Amino acid sequence: MADSNALDQLRAVSSDPMGYARAWKERTGGLVVGSFPMNFPSEMVHAAGALPLIVQESDEPITVGHGVLFPFYCGFTRSTVDQAGRGDLDVLDAIMFGDHCVQLLGAADAVRVQLPNTRVIFFQLISSMCDPWTFGRARESFQKLRSELEDFLERPVEDAALHASIALFNRNRQLIRTLYAARVDGRARLTGSDMQAIVKSSMVMDKQDHTALLEQIVAALPSAPVPIEGKPVRVHLSGHFCQAPKPELLAMIEDCGATVVGDDLYHGYRYISTDVPEGIDPMDGLARWYMDRNTGVPCPTRVQNDVDWDAFLLSAMRDEAAEGMIVLMAKFCEPHMYYYPEVKEAFERAEVPHLLIETEHETMALEHLRTRVESFVEILRRRRGAPRTQKSTVEGEAA
Amino acid sequence: MNAPSAPKAANKLKSTRMAGKLVNDYWEMVWRAKEEGKLVCWYEGSSINPFLEAADIVWVHGEAYSAMLAARHQEGPAQAAAEERGYMRELCSYARTHLGCAVNNQRHRNESDSAFSGVPDDEDISAKLPPPDMIISAYAYCSTGQQWDEMTSRLFGKKIPIFNVSIPWIWASGKDAGYLRGQEWQETSKYVAKQLEEMVKFIEERTGKPYPWDRLRELMRNVKRASELRLEAMDMCTARPAPATLFDWSVSIAPINQLPCTTDIVDYFTNVRDEVAERVRTGEGAVPKEKYRLFFDGIMNWNKLGWLAEKFARYDAAVVAGRYTHMAFWQEPDLIDPNDPVMGMGQNYLICPNNHSSPILIDLIMGLCEKYEVDGIVFHATRTCRAFTNPMHMIAETAQKRLGIQTTMFEGDVADESFYKDELLNTRVEAMLEAIDARRMVMV
Repeated sequence: MADSNALDQLRAVSSDPMGYARAWKERTGGLVVGSFPMNFPSEMVHAAGALPLIVQESDEPITVGHGVLFPFYCGFTRSTVDQAGRGDLDVLDAIMFGDHCVQLLGAADAVRVQLPNTRVIFFQLISSMCDPWTFGRARESFQKLRSELEDFLERPVEDAALHASIALFNRNRQLIRTLYAARVDGRARLTGSDMQAIVKSSMVMDKQDHTALLEQIVAALPSAPVPIEGKPVRVHLSGHFCQAPKPELLAMIEDCGATVVGDDLYHGYRYISTDVPEGIDPMDGLARWYMDRNTGVPCPTRVQNDVDWDAFLLSAMRDEAAEGMIVLMAKFCEPHMYYYPEVKEAFERAEVPHLLIETEHETMALEHLRTRVESFVEILRRRRGAPRTQKSTVEGEAA
Repeated sequence: MNAPSAPKAANKLKSTRMAGKLVNDYWEMVWRAKEEGKLVCWYEGSSINPFLEAADIVWVHGEAYSAMLAARHQEGPAQAAAEERGYMRELCSYARTHLGCAVNNQRHRNESDSAFSGVPDDEDISAKLPPPDMIISAYAYCSTGQQWDEMTSRLFGKKIPIFNVSIPWIWASGKDAGYLRGQEWQETSKYVAKQLEEMVKFIEERTGKPYPWDRLRELMRNVKRASELRLEAMDMCTARPAPATLFDWSVSIAPINQLPCTTDIVDYFTNVRDEVAERVRTGEGAVPKEKYRLFFDGIMNWNKLGWLAEKFARYDAAVVAGRYTHMAFWQEPDLIDPNDPVMGMGQNYLICPNNHSSPILIDLIMGLCEKYEVDGIVFHATRTCRAFTNPMHMIAETAQKRLGIQTTMFEGDVADESFYKDELLNTRVEAMLEAIDARRMVMV
């Protein structure tokens, strides 16, 4: 069983990221540098001696944000401008990012206006991943961001510090991947919410402290699979990029008789999938990491003709012995909406069942969703031992 | 404010009627492309068509095809096909319609697809679009563009060669940053120009021929001249009453954006310029009793182009300028050197109306509002085009604070009329015009 005290600490940070940042700032007197998801390498900020924090969607309903972005934007972007308008992001001394989603760019533009005293640093990362110049441009982008960070901090970010931060972040990722492996083989009985708390807190906490807690959790893992009552269906959770799925949604899925054995959520495996190569120039390493991530866990926000997200998902599910996939799509997430038909068709061809759930920031009719998840779980149960002869997709409409 | 009781037609420019013929001729050429053994390139966003036209490649601008279908109210079959494949309604309706054309195209060529007959409906022009031999993605600002092209490639089984030109957003944070100036502008211009040179190599690989640079130079001379004439005519609309409105300029987008870059487009804009000049001379307005002058912020609602022109005219409101029409489409002809056109072409792609962050963008819009002496701004909250809606609230707030003018918003869309709410527009426009009247009375 995982170390519950260490896990409790991670849960606490995960549930109040800005509270953690304020306390950290008060305790250390250091600077806090926020970043937007999903591709800014926080190692750079850490090496500069500041606390890197990935801005999170808030649980609060949108209020002042309605006057900044229209309601037909994803929950993350609306929540971010809402947090900025309410002063919740005031703890951040700077914000850095380089992503390209059009809604994210709109939010960043608005946040810069809303927070005139906060330095917002941007340099657009190339999102076309297999051009001959992709590596060079990615490196240049990170170098530009580094230079602006140095300008903001009025001190250089030394290569030696960057090497050390890369090593620390790699260790952190490796420990979380150990937990993922233990979940697949049954040694770690971590719920979806637990895993989210572990990853989300990693996006917020001082990395040294977070890694120390992870070491405790990993050390407490049993050497053999933990027996489990009944035989819950094994599902893979897919999707949800910038924002974390609501814990109550994850709990509901598990209440219906499913156990989550794998995911490619940003607040999950996507975040920790890939290490930065060590032993080479650190900027080369970060650029390589940026490219390797999309090969390892393809992301629909990038375009890369020689990798397929749908093929990755089917392969991951085989490795996890997952019986079905639940797609969590944040409403209005354009990259996900573009790619979903590819996934849908591939899963239909492979006769692997999946259920699409569209999530919203404000309200989700959980009981309505529960009925659909229960039906999906029942379908998966009935398929056990049955020959694959019929189309197995359970299509869902907007929640 | 006058209630729009009796219909009275907007006094549209006569010279723009020629656009209809030019557009029809162009699409007929596209539909004949395969019969004539031409290579076909699909692209979205930036006007890379001169690069293709010079190489004798038939070009299909995705937005233009979707807009054409919507304007003819023939978007339904394509949008239905897209929806059947799983593309959701909240996706860009340009992309959704165009992807629907690709879905239809694939289905009509796949007899084993039992859900469809192998023969397209005669009236379904979405199925007439010839499939691509290559795809070039060169989209400023909006991430949708690149993803749309990638999904098109995947729809065709990744068998179509694709080339990506990355056009970065101008963030403008440096101390020297500004419109067409500063280190960021210079570096970004070079980055885009370099990729365009690589794109030419990609075109050479497709055609198997050396790139005809002389032909490109010739075409860009026409583009530059057409652009100058267009801007000259637009500038004359500072006159009262305005001789032309946004709706005339919307009709004139195709000639500057994607029609063949021959002397036809120079002739077209010469005629437009001459008619506008004549109207200024005689005091003839595009709205017979111009009482209000408005700025339109948002992309055009192509299903409703004529409808909106009539609606605003009946309110005696001349929509004299807009972000879509007045800040895009070879907007800076001075940057184009026909003898060495690549850099200037890239720079014009970079100044797509949304590709500057709000500090620059808002200044440009406020400048236009002052130049055309508008009384208010109408925002078309384009439901599936977040590239346009992103800064709207900030623009509205600045207009009210800096210029003290009225603003209003209505919801619609580029190619999906189900998002358009007529009563909402009526109520909000009337309220704004009443507020303008009230303000005028106070000032008197």
